[in-house]
Amino acid sequence: MSAYLGQIRAIVWKDLLLELRTRERVVAMGAFAVLAAVLFNYSIDRTVVRPQDVGAGLIWMTIVFGGLLGVGRTFHLEAEDGALQGVLMSPVPKDAVFLGKTLSNFVLLYAVSLLVVAVFMLFFGMELGASPTMLGLALALGALGFVALGTLFAAVSSGTRMGETLLPILLFPLLVPMIVFGAGATGRLLSGRPVSEVAGDIRMLAAFALMAVAAGAVLFRFVVED
Amino acid sequence: MAPESESPPPVASKPALEARGVVREYGPVIAVAGIDLSLERGDFLTVFGPNGAGKSSLLGLLAGALRPTRGEVFVDGTRLDFGAVEWRRNIGVLSHQGFLYAQLTVAENLQFYGRLYGLEDLERRIPERLAHVRLEDCSDALVGQLSHGMRQRLAVARALLHDPDVVLLDEPYTGLDPSAAAVLRGVLTELKDGCRTVVMVTHNLGEGLALASRVAIQVRGRFAWRGSREELDSNDFERLYHRVVEGRA
Repeated sequence: MSAYLGQIRAIVWKDLLLELRTRERVVAMGAFAVLAAVLFNYSIDRTVVRPQDVGAGLIWMTIVFGGLLGVGRTFHLEAEDGALQGVLMSPVPKDAVFLGKTLSNFVLLYAVSLLVVAVFMLFFGMELGASPTMLGLALALGALGFVALGTLFAAVSSGTRMGETLLPILLFPLLVPMIVFGAGATGRLLSGRPVSEVAGDIRMLAAFALMAVAAGAVLFRFVVED
Repeated sequence: MAPESESPPPVASKPALEARGVVREYGPVIAVAGIDLSLERGDFLTVFGPNGAGKSSLLGLLAGALRPTRGEVFVDGTRLDFGAVEWRRNIGVLSHQGFLYAQLTVAENLQFYGRLYGLEDLERRIPERLAHVRLEDCSDALVGQLSHGMRQRLAVARALLHDPDVVLLDEPYTGLDPSAAAVLRGVLTELKDGCRTVVMVTHNLGEGLALASRVAIQVRGRFAWRGSREELDSNDFERLYHRVVEGRA
């Protein structure tokens, strides 16, 4: 078990180190988040709608579209010089490769998700609500479910000519539960509603994330193996 | 009186690397058309052949990177099971590509692969391997800044980092200058230590013959000719090669 965890750690270490050196994905996701918030800010007539009524949905859509920019490039650096082939030919279980890449994607997307919330608070004048911890948990569970499915489908799309065009077509329909429960929980938390009102949404987000991670771990080998 | 203890019957040693009727098809294209081979520990097989003969596909099958359409591959008597991973510890592969990350340093690349293979003595092993391929002064250099020859030498260090019993080499001399080729030749010569089994595919007749203990010429997915190095006259090999490739032998 410790060898298995060591292999996952090695993949996370390598992915985060590569991201630290290139800043390829986190800059793209962060820039998208800020620009989207600016555009949404000008697109909403505040005399007609209150920002907190639409803020949660906009936050989640920004996370999804921004996250797609990063997750879609998960296997981009691996493709150079056949590095993914080298990883797959090493004695690492394929599910460990999946979990390692999912975890490193999660770290990046969760950081971007917190940035998105901060930027929306700034532009829309929203407040964190009564329970910032629960808001952080909802974002974390949503980000985990998203990157689990995103990593799996990024592996599928990286092997095709349509590549990044194919990824949203495959991924978006499966993200509906995450958007519904994530935006629901976020909206209530930002409106200052009690935590008991969002417990159900949080549980559903946790179930979605768990299922996405488990399904990805099982299916990943069929995607990457010859 | 105690019965005399019977010595166990001699057990035939299992081949270090064996392929039984391996076929690999890509849709209608047959890249490997039923190859059998059996290599003992210490054998160094060089496979020659023209472009498109299926040499790299054969190597991919032996490495477990490709699943055979038909047939089986065994390493130390164990059939390659794609659901398991332990047998991969016994195999080292040097491909056309180096499997390296350009944005990581030389040492970081080896650290990463060392961790994937669960190696615990990386602090000692990495400098040793780098010295072996004469890259000891480059451990902190980014791989993207290295020349092709240096990257190829690093790829050799990566392939041998875990001391594999079976080493598979795909065109290792491609694009190397004479100096880099000489370093590589030295490293590959050391692989002939009697403990490893090596399969190399190459177009380079001279380099391939120099190291080989066994030789095969692959044409249209099959071994059209095979023999031991001792049977060959190296001066006449080029003519033999062309005759075999053109179907006249």
